Amino acid sequence: MPFLARILTTLALGSLMTTTALQAAEVSPKISVGTQEVGLNAGYLLPHRLTTDHTTKQEGPAFMPYWMMTLTDPIGDSWYRGQISLGAEMVYIQFQEPILTHGVGFAPKIKYTFVALDRIRPFAEFAGGPFWTDLAGKIPEESSQFNFVLMAGFGVAYFLTHQLALNAGYLFNHISNGGTSYPNLGLNASLPYGGLSFFF
Amino acid sequence: MTRHLVHRTILGLVVLATATTVGCRTRWIDVSPSPTNRDNPVTQSILNDERVPLVMDGFRMTQNGAPQNPSTEVEHRILNTVQETRLFSTLIPLGGNVASLGDKVVTARITFDETIDSHSGKTAWKGFLIGASMFLLSPVIDLDYDYAAEASLELGRWDGQVKRYTARSAGTAHYTVFAASPTLIGELKGQVTEACLTDLMDQLIRDTNFYVASSAPLPDSPVVSVTVKARKPQSSLASPSAVPVSTAPAP
Repeated sequence: MPFLARILTTLALGSLMTTTALQAAEVSPKISVGTQEVGLNAGYLLPHRLTTDHTTKQEGPAFMPYWMMTLTDPIGDSWYRGQISLGAEMVYIQFQEPILTHGVGFAPKIKYTFVALDRIRPFAEFAGGPFWTDLAGKIPEESSQFNFVLMAGFGVAYFLTHQLALNAGYLFNHISNGGTSYPNLGLNASLPYGGLSFFF
Repeated sequence: MTRHLVHRTILGLVVLATATTVGCRTRWIDVSPSPTNRDNPVTQSILNDERVPLVMDGFRMTQNGAPQNPSTEVEHRILNTVQETRLFSTLIPLGGNVASLGDKVVTARITFDETIDSHSGKTAWKGFLIGASMFLLSPVIDLDYDYAAEASLELGRWDGQVKRYTARSAGTAHYTVFAASPTLIGELKGQVTEACLTDLMDQLIRDTNFYVASSAPLPDSPVVSVTVKARKPQSSLASPSAVPVSTAPAP
């Protein structure tokens, strides 16, 4: 946890330093078709035991570097006016509980960003892909090291400049092996996160 | 099982990398009519003394039917294209000084309508498919972006006669997801605008004799009146119309 705290503090301070360098001019980012986004989100995994068969309280920091490509111009004319982007993210989770283990995955990701509020841009996102972890086999819920990770959630991006944005959001995280081996109860968790993204 | 899956994933990534780098065309633009395939460029001769100044009198822009702030970039581009014809002696942009131009002046009103269709719904579904395939389908799924431009030029001669010219051009950018970039869209808009303005200038040059200084005398009465009125608001908001997709082959 101290390591995660250090990372988040660094991100927050870095953002504040950037903010002080901003001009007074209003920030109104112009994101068009083909605009790319790279970023890093970091959060902390908090377990959900959805049935009585789930006993593991897996938790630990998660890091998600990602890349996105804007696919559409803004759609719609009302509050739901927004843009679709497609990309992928790496997911690294250090399970500190119940045993110090690791997990790493690659997940294509699709995101809908609401643009009606100008520099404050809420979004909904979904990502899913293969996920390897050595936690499996050491807990009753999962037997194989090869799994899939599914993540769905929402968040908000606050543009500090035309190209730089602060992110905060929530993801529901599910890890299971898709029935490729048994037992396969799956691991469920909440993943609140924060981060920075850069548009170019 | 796990090993097979890993092998398939690696194989897929290798195929993807190969296809995107050497195999497939990742982006191309179709423009109709193509500015490079003109059969016979229109040319006329005019005496230098016969040329008169052109003064910009109005410039309107719309995008998918909605009025926009006039873009100086587009205005300059249109004026540069007119300048390149060498039909007029001087070009005065909007708000320019017209005091010392003399009596024989041609005034210009320009309307530039853009129609944009990024096929958002279709692109969203294709994006979902590409993501679900772990990007393996990205080299074979094309995304499309349509852009059309219609330019209208209304020229008023010093004796009050008015001529109106209209040209239209449309184009489509086809690209794979990794080839998408704002530059590509800029290229599409640039090529479509070029084709549109080329057509417009061809029409203008055909009427060269109409704009030479000796084509018409100055009106008898030096007092010239103009009609002053506010522009009529549009009765209803124009809905975004679909852009015809070009069938012209890629250059």
